[in-house]
Parts: sequence; structure tokens; C-alpha cells
Amino acid sequence: MKRFTLSDRGFDWINTIFLLIILVLIVYPLIFVLSASISDPQAVSSGRMWLWPVDITFKGYERVFANDAIWLGYKNTIIYTFVGTAIHLFVLLPCAYALSRKELMAKKFILWFILFTMLFNGGLIPTYLVVQSLGMLDTMWAIIIPNVVGAWSILVARAFFQQSIPDQLVEASKIDGASDFYIFIRVVLPLSLPIIAVMALFHAVNLWNQYFNALIYLSDRDKYPLQLILREILVVNQMQLNDPGGSAESLVDQVKTAGLIKYAVIIVSSLPLLLVYPFVQRFFVQGVLIGSIKE
Amino acid sequence: MKGVKNDVSVPAQSKFYQVKKNFARNWQIYVFLLPAVAYFIILHYIPMYGVQIAFKNFFANLGIWGSPWIGFDHFERFFNSYYFWRLLKNTLVLSAYQLILFPLPIILALSLHEVRNRMFKKWAQTLTYAPHFISVVVVVGMIVIFLDPTTGLVNRLIVVFGGSPIDFLTSPGWFRHIFTWSGVWQTLGWGSIIYLAALSGVNPELHEAAKVDGASRLQRIFHINIPSILPTIVVLFILNIGSFMTVGFEKVLLMQNNLNAKTSDVIQTFVYQTGLLEGQYSFAAAIGLFDSAINIALLVVFNYTARKVSGNSLW
Amino acid sequence: MKMKKKFMMLAAVLLIALSACNNDDKADVGGSEEALNNLNTEGMPIVEDTIELEVFAGKAATTADDWNDVLLLNEYEEMTNMDITWNMVPADGLEERRNLALASGDLPDVFYSANLPVSDVQKYGSQGTFIPLNDLIEEYAPNIKKVLDENPDIRKGITFPDGNIYSIPTVYSPDFSSLLIGAKGWINGDWLEQLEMDNPETTEEFYEYLKAVKETDLNGNGKNDEIPLSSVAEMSRIIHWISGAFGVQNRGQLHTLIDSDPDSEDIRFYPIADQYKEMLEYLNKLYEEGLIEQNIYSLEVDQHLASAADDLYGAVQFYNPMELYGKEVGEQYIPGNALEGPDGTKMYTGITSPVLSLGNFLITSENENPEAALRWIDYFWSEEGQKMFFMGIEGETYEETEEGPKLTEEITDNPDGLTLTQALAKYIINPGGNHPVIVTDEYFTGSENAPADVEAAEQLEPYLIDEIWPAFTYTAEENDRIAVLETDLQKYVEEMQAGFITGENDFSEWDAYVETIQEMGYDEYMEIQQAAYERYQEN
Repeated sequence: MKRFTLSDRGFDWINTIFLLIILVLIVYPLIFVLSASISDPQAVSSGRMWLWPVDITFKGYERVFANDAIWLGYKNTIIYTFVGTAIHLFVLLPCAYALSRKELMAKKFILWFILFTMLFNGGLIPTYLVVQSLGMLDTMWAIIIPNVVGAWSILVARAFFQQSIPDQLVEASKIDGASDFYIFIRVVLPLSLPIIAVMALFHAVNLWNQYFNALIYLSDRDKYPLQLILREILVVNQMQLNDPGGSAESLVDQVKTAGLIKYAVIIVSSLPLLLVYPFVQRFFVQGVLIGSIKE
Repeated sequence: MKGVKNDVSVPAQSKFYQVKKNFARNWQIYVFLLPAVAYFIILHYIPMYGVQIAFKNFFANLGIWGSPWIGFDHFERFFNSYYFWRLLKNTLVLSAYQLILFPLPIILALSLHEVRNRMFKKWAQTLTYAPHFISVVVVVGMIVIFLDPTTGLVNRLIVVFGGSPIDFLTSPGWFRHIFTWSGVWQTLGWGSIIYLAALSGVNPELHEAAKVDGASRLQRIFHINIPSILPTIVVLFILNIGSFMTVGFEKVLLMQNNLNAKTSDVIQTFVYQTGLLEGQYSFAAAIGLFDSAINIALLVVFNYTARKVSGNSLW
Repeated sequence: MKMKKKFMMLAAVLLIALSACNNDDKADVGGSEEALNNLNTEGMPIVEDTIELEVFAGKAATTADDWNDVLLLNEYEEMTNMDITWNMVPADGLEERRNLALASGDLPDVFYSANLPVSDVQKYGSQGTFIPLNDLIEEYAPNIKKVLDENPDIRKGITFPDGNIYSIPTVYSPDFSSLLIGAKGWINGDWLEQLEMDNPETTEEFYEYLKAVKETDLNGNGKNDEIPLSSVAEMSRIIHWISGAFGVQNRGQLHTLIDSDPDSEDIRFYPIADQYKEMLEYLNKLYEEGLIEQNIYSLEVDQHLASAADDLYGAVQFYNPMELYGKEVGEQYIPGNALEGPDGTKMYTGITSPVLSLGNFLITSENENPEAALRWIDYFWSEEGQKMFFMGIEGETYEETEEGPKLTEEITDNPDGLTLTQALAKYIINPGGNHPVIVTDEYFTGSENAPADVEAAEQLEPYLIDEIWPAFTYTAEENDRIAVLETDLQKYVEEMQAGFITGENDFSEWDAYVETIQEMGYDEYMEIQQAAYERYQEN
């Protein structure tokens, strides 16, 4: 018996050290960004700053907070994330629940129908034409609708319903004369908080970080999400580098601004998500399961 | 198994009757499917008609339907291209590399699961997820700073230990490592979530019984935890295979330069460049189709293999 | 109910998707009678009753976010009676958006400053998406016509094999060499003095200087951290400086694969020429000895600027150092010379054709007032129009002085600490971006007009190549083939160039390199270029 506890303790030690090493590797770059956000940009790009802030300055944050475009982008991103996540859940949850029910016929066909979209798509132009004909160009729907739900989420949510909603419960409610709508809203959803929270966070993170749809579909600057504004600030365009006419000043302007606010912007833009997810974290353990297409 | 279980009590009836009855009784369940099905049809299946431009010479003024058919010309052009084999090889190697590292999140999850101190566990989880929230542009920017040959931290460490600095970013040999491991850094914690969830579902009685039998912690991990989450592992693995040819092309583009192109040139960046930037849509569509075909083939093969070997599979 | 509605919607979408792409009704060139009646062929306003135009506008990072609020354009709207809606498309994503607009048939009236490549102008021009402008220019654009008549080279450069002109190009005045050269070579003058050396005149002297920089602690910080030669965007700029000494790229920098064979005067694929190999060997020597910044292939602009600010550079090939690195560091730099090569060749080839890019003003078939649209841009080619375009509004952004118009102090020395470019942004849409106008040294406010740059250009002037080719134009069939061939060739040449310079590829691989190029469709490529060149000469 004693030998076992000893080896148990040894295991704990090794495990803890292993995790600590991983944590250091993961956390170091994060600290770097944080320190860089309040250091002199020149010290950062010349490599003088490597862990703690050097020549502390809050100019980066001042510039970020003074920038109207960033605030507007922030507002747009928040709206897109909230509305998009709500629609995501509205499409995802009923579908995944239905797919978890035994009564549903042709389940396998429907699952394949959904899975196939993961493997094969028509390409950008036809998708663009459809978005255009739905009248969604240059509206927030073009950001939200084209990727409203993916096969992966449906599989995960369906696995949750299969494992966490006891059949007897649904059967019993049915015998009491409840309709499927009623059961879903009154019985199933209240039991499904974990999956709702997790799916909402997953999708919200995607919406928060995505820029490509906005790049393609939005023209009105006032509708730009944060990520697009960030790209404008951070990515020095190759074309601009090779554009001879009067680009010296423009280059310096842009590079200087970018250098100054780059890290502050990272912090400011990632913070909301970083703050939200510890609250959702406790649901993760119960929420994310994935099952096969087999019944 | 055909989905009409609650009708089993009813003696053999015509199939049509069964379907009708099922519908009448459960129509609301079908309504639940409608938003998702409508979405997939409108935004995924309708655009699939566009695949035909891979076999056509797309003229904007003629539209997708009106453009003339040219058969397999675009495919031939791609297969005969000087870069075809290089693109294919780079894509496969890069994808395979990422796939080999597939177990890392599992190891992290297994390790986190064993932690007894709840505070430590919570913090460890929180911190490992954090990089997932950082955008690719920024990650690449950080890579550039850390790996700079003169000022970068990594090279300064190398010099301190007596080595000579390495120009990681322009070396074809290093590209794959940098690309893949920075990806691991970003997704390790996030990827472990799903396994942690699966681990929490392991029946505690199994562990009690094993303890009584005198199994060590390591033995219990290997004989109880891993087998319990195996179905999850297999399904995720196969789903990963399904997107095998999909390497994060935006990150590749940001990290690419003329010196590392020998290894960093992949099919997706090629499609992006020829298709979206140069407007050769038909050619790009043909390459995209080729990509999808490989994906589907891989998926089918791996699913079959997994079913034979482990008894678990996606379908 | 719901289901039925969904189904209806679905059916509707299907129908729309199927029919969306069938607008191939070809518009006649020129506007309707109604439009012509509304048009004034001379003077302002351009139209009697206000007309509206929708414009797809590529936006450079430095210009205002929304051109609908820019003073110049609003004033001009009053003058012309033309109400323009500017749909702004930032440089990031410009190609994607432009291609989608063209492919989906969702066309604006005009593409402005959208940098269409020559091949797209040809492709969509011949498909009828863009209207030919030849006749319209003759009749309605006297100022543009004048420039084209005075400079046949420019007309050649924008005429397609079908004889049509589809676009109003961005033209740099042929006399404005500083701008045509763009980024220039600069030598650290203080360090030259410290080393008691003369400004290098030959490649050999240049090498000696760089070597001396490498070996001496010239910035006096006690560290051996001097970087002899640097630039941004890989090696292309350094090559612009050096290539003349080896006689390659001798028809200007717009052609990255072909130039003229000095012996036969025939068209030549110079990346397989012996002189090109010599140049690579020279650059390889510099690189291997650590005389070129070692991470030049991955160097970011901000790193370059940080190193410059730390006073590490002995020589750079980039824009005006005073503007880029600040006065203190930038002042040290003096213009670099055109270099003489080992066999006595001395020329400067890093110069662009006056027709910098042609796809910056295209009138689409959707446009109901093409004459008015053309007149709209033509004014900016006139003397007073140019002044307005580059300097803004008198009294607001500039004052007339005895030496000509001068920007006001509010712009040049902004009380809010804005740079000149930033201060100008709310008044005009320049500097930054390629505009479909002629750029002359008289009104240009960018750094190429700064004293140091003008001095540098004068120093290079005697060695500048005479004949500079614009981008060639191709027929539709040629275009299809060249797209295929050039993509591969260009890529291979660039990669191997980097490989040879850094030593990743040994020069023993040279023959294999030449052979590979032959296999990549060299003959066909040269055939097409030859045809295009002959057409260019005859035009």
C-alpha cells in the first residue's frame, strides 16, 4: 500500500512539473504582449524588451482610445457577435435536438447531408452571388448568415442531447400530452445550459475573430468590425510598399502608428473574450462531447 | 434501427404507412430541422452549381451558366504545372505534420485531469486557452520578433550557449516546424477542452475497482481513461482528416517569402493567389475541386481503417 | 405555413441565382441622347442637371477614410454638377473586392484608382465590361489628348492590340526623374568621412565601403552592430541600384523578366544572361560576407526603421531618409551614385515608365454618362486642374507666392502635430495611391520632390537609361497563355534569385536553373513577348 502512495506522489510531481513547463511556454508570449503594450515600440522591435516593460509609456493605449474607428469597430463587432450567436443557437439547437431523437426518420441521410458541406463547397463566386441575391451585401447579415452553423457544432450538440437528456423524460412528457415544441423549450433547454453556453462561446469567438466575410461583403466603413480595422492598421500592404508615388510619408505614418498601438490593440481587442470565458469554463466539462453519425 | 423504433409494437405495415404515421405524430421534430436545412441548402448546396466553372472558361459577362465548356483543361494545366508536385508535397507534409501532433491536446487533457489541486487546475486551464483568442496576424508578428536573427530572443539564447544565429524565417527547413508549433501553441489548450469533457464522463467505479486491484495512476490512465475517450478521439481524428488539406492559408501567406517558398508553397495559397488575387476563377475552382476530392478520399479510407482497427468510426 | 414560406423563399433564391449572371446585353459606347443633351462639351459645369455616379475607389491608407467628405471632391462636385458616390475599398482586400465586383457583374459606373492589372483591363475590355475611350478622348478630353499627342510613348503604352484604349492611366511626367526613380540608393556620408573614403563610383568601391563599415565601429557604441546595406521588400530595391552596373534590366523596372540584349538589340530573357549571373555572384559575395542585412528576406518595415533609428546602416535603398528615419539620423545620408560594373558598364536602370499603371480609371458599360465621366477626370489633367488636385483649394491649403503655389503652414507645420500627409487628408485625396492623372514636379507634394531626392535624381540623371518600356499589352489569346507562363517563370526566377544570393543554391546549379527555365515554356513566353514588343514599336 505504501509503495503505491509513494509512486502516486511521484506521479503528481512529474505531472505538475510537466504542466508548469507547458504553462511557461504558453504564458511567456502573452506576458510579452502585455509588456510590449506599455513599452517604447522601438525597444520592442530592437529586442531590448524581452520580459518586463522597458521605457514605460501608455501612448499606445491613448492612441487606441482616441481612435474613433476602433471604437466603432468595437461596437459593430459586439453587435455582430451577439446577434450572430443568438441566430446560431436558434439554428443549431433545434436541429441538433431533432437529430438526437429516435423518432426522426432518415437521420443518417440528414447527417450526411450536413457533413457533406464540410467537405465540399461551390467556391467563392457562387456564394457571393447568393449572398448578393438575398440582398445581404453590405449588411450585417452578410457577416452572420454565411457561416451561421457548421457540421462540427451540430455533431457536438447532438452528442450532448443524446447523452444528457434521458429518453424516459421525453417519453414521460409526451405521455402527459406535451408537444415536441413544449418539451424542447420547457424540458430540454433548461437541462442544456452547458451546451448552450459552450456553443455560444465557440461561435462568439469565431465571430469575434473573423474578418474575411467582412472584407468581401462590406463596403460601408461604418459597418466594419474590429478585426478589419485592426488589419488596416497592422498589415502593411505589399502594394503600398511598392507604390512609388509619395509613399515615404505614408509608410512611416502607418508603420509608426502600427508600431505604437499594435500591442495595445491586441490587449484591448482580446480582453472581452478573455474576461468572459472563465465564467463559461465550468460548463465546458459537461458541454462538449462529440459522437459519431452512428446511432 | 431505421429510426421508427416506437412503432415496433405495430405489426408489419406498409412502409408508406409507417412514414406517414411517424410524420403525423412527430411533425414538430421535423420543423426543428428546418432552419438548419434551409441554411445548408441556400448557402451551401445552391452555390455548388458553381463547381462547373472548373470545367469551363469563366467569362464574367457570360456568367457561370453561359461560359463555354472546356473540359479538363484547367486540371491538365495544374497537373502539368512545374509547381504541381511541390505544392502537393508541401501540402501533404504540412498536413501530416499537424496530424502527427494530434495527440498533444489529448496528453494535456490527460495531464490536467490528474491534477488534484482545483485552483491550479482552473488556472492552468484558463491560461492554456488564452492564445486561442489572439488573431493570426498578431501571432505571425510575434514569431517575427522572437525569431529575428539578431535581436530575437531565441537567437540571443543560441548565441549565449555558443551557437551561431539561425535565420529561421527564411529557411525552408525551419518553416514547417515554426508553422506547426506556433499552431500548437495557439490551439493546444482549446483543443484539450473536448477531451477533458470526455474524461469527466469516465465512470469513477472503474477507477475504484482498479485501485483495489493495485493499478498505478499511470496504469489507470492507460487502461481506463484512454480507452474511455477513445471514441471521442477517433471521431475527432476522422473529422480532422476531413479537413486534411486545409492548412491555415492566411498564416502561410503571412509567413511566406521567396526563400522559404520551397516548403511554404501550398495548394491553398496557390488557389488564393491565382483565384482571388489574379481572378483566374476557373483555374482556382479546378484546383479547389482536386483538393476536395483528396479530402473525401482520405476521409473514406481513414473511416474504414478506424472501424476495422478500433471498432470506432465516424459512420 | 412556415414550411411553405421557406420553400417559396428557396425557390425564389434558386431562380435569382440562376438568372443573376445573364446581363450580357451590350451597352452602346457613349451615352444616350438625353445624356448628351444634358452635357456641356466645354467649361463648367460639366452637366446642366445634376447627375449621379457610383464609383469604386481604391483607397490608399493615408487618404481620408471617406472621400465623400473630402473638401476637394465636394468643391469639384459644385463646379461640375456631378454628384459622385465614392464606395471606398481599402488597399487591404482591394484585389478581392475588385475581382468579385467584376465577376459578379455588380458594376459601378467607374473604377477609380483600383489598380487593375493590364491583363484584366484587356480581358474585361474585350468582353465589353469597360468601354473603349479612343473616340471619347478625341472629342471630350482635350487635356488628356494633349498629353497623349505630345508623348507618343504614353499612347503606345495604353493602347491594346485591338487598337482600343480602355483606361486613363497614372502618368508620371517624363521630366520628373526623381519620381520615376522612386526609392533611391543612399550612403551614410558621415561614415564615409570617418573612413576617409569617397562616395563609391564602382561596384568594387561599393564593396570596399561596405566591408569597411562592417569592420569598423562607426556609430561608436562599442559594439560591432553596423549593418552595411539594407532595404525593405526583399532584394528588389537593392537590385534596382546595382543592376545597371551589370547592364541587366536595361529597359526599366516594370519588366522583371525581359530587357534588350545589348549586342543584338533583340528582346532578351535577362535572368539567364551571363551578366545577370555576374550580378548574382556579386550580391552573393556581399551577402555571404554579411554586408547585406542577413534577414532581408523577412525584414519588416518597422524593424528596418528601428535599426535605422539606432544608427546601424551604412547604405540603404529606400525612400528619403530624412522623412523615414527622422532628421537626426536621416541627415547623415547622401545620395548614392550610379555604379560602374566590372566590365565598365555604367547605367541606372531602376526607373519606371511614365505609364506607371494603366488600370486606374475605367468607365463601365453600366455608365449612362461616359462623356461626363471622362470630362470629370480630364479637368485634372489641365494646368489649373493639376494644381487643384495636388495642392487643394487656394486659401485653404495653399497660397500663391512669387515662387509659385505653397502649402499653408497649417499643412506643413500642423498645430495638432499632424504630418503633412495627415493634414492634407481631409482636403485632398493625395499623396498615396495611384490616381489617373499626370504627376509633375510642379505640384507634387511627396518626398520625391524633397531637396535630397531631387539632388539624388540629378546625380543619377546622366546614367539613366533612355528607353523605358511600359507594361506591354496582349491579345486575349496571348493573355491566357502569358498568365500561365509568367506566373510560373516569375516565381521560379525570384526564388532562385534568392537562393543564389543567399547561398542556399550553389552556382554549380546554374546550368540546371537555365535548363528548368527552358522547360517551363521559355520559348512560347518569348514568342509572345516578341510579338507584343513588335506591336509596341509599331503602334
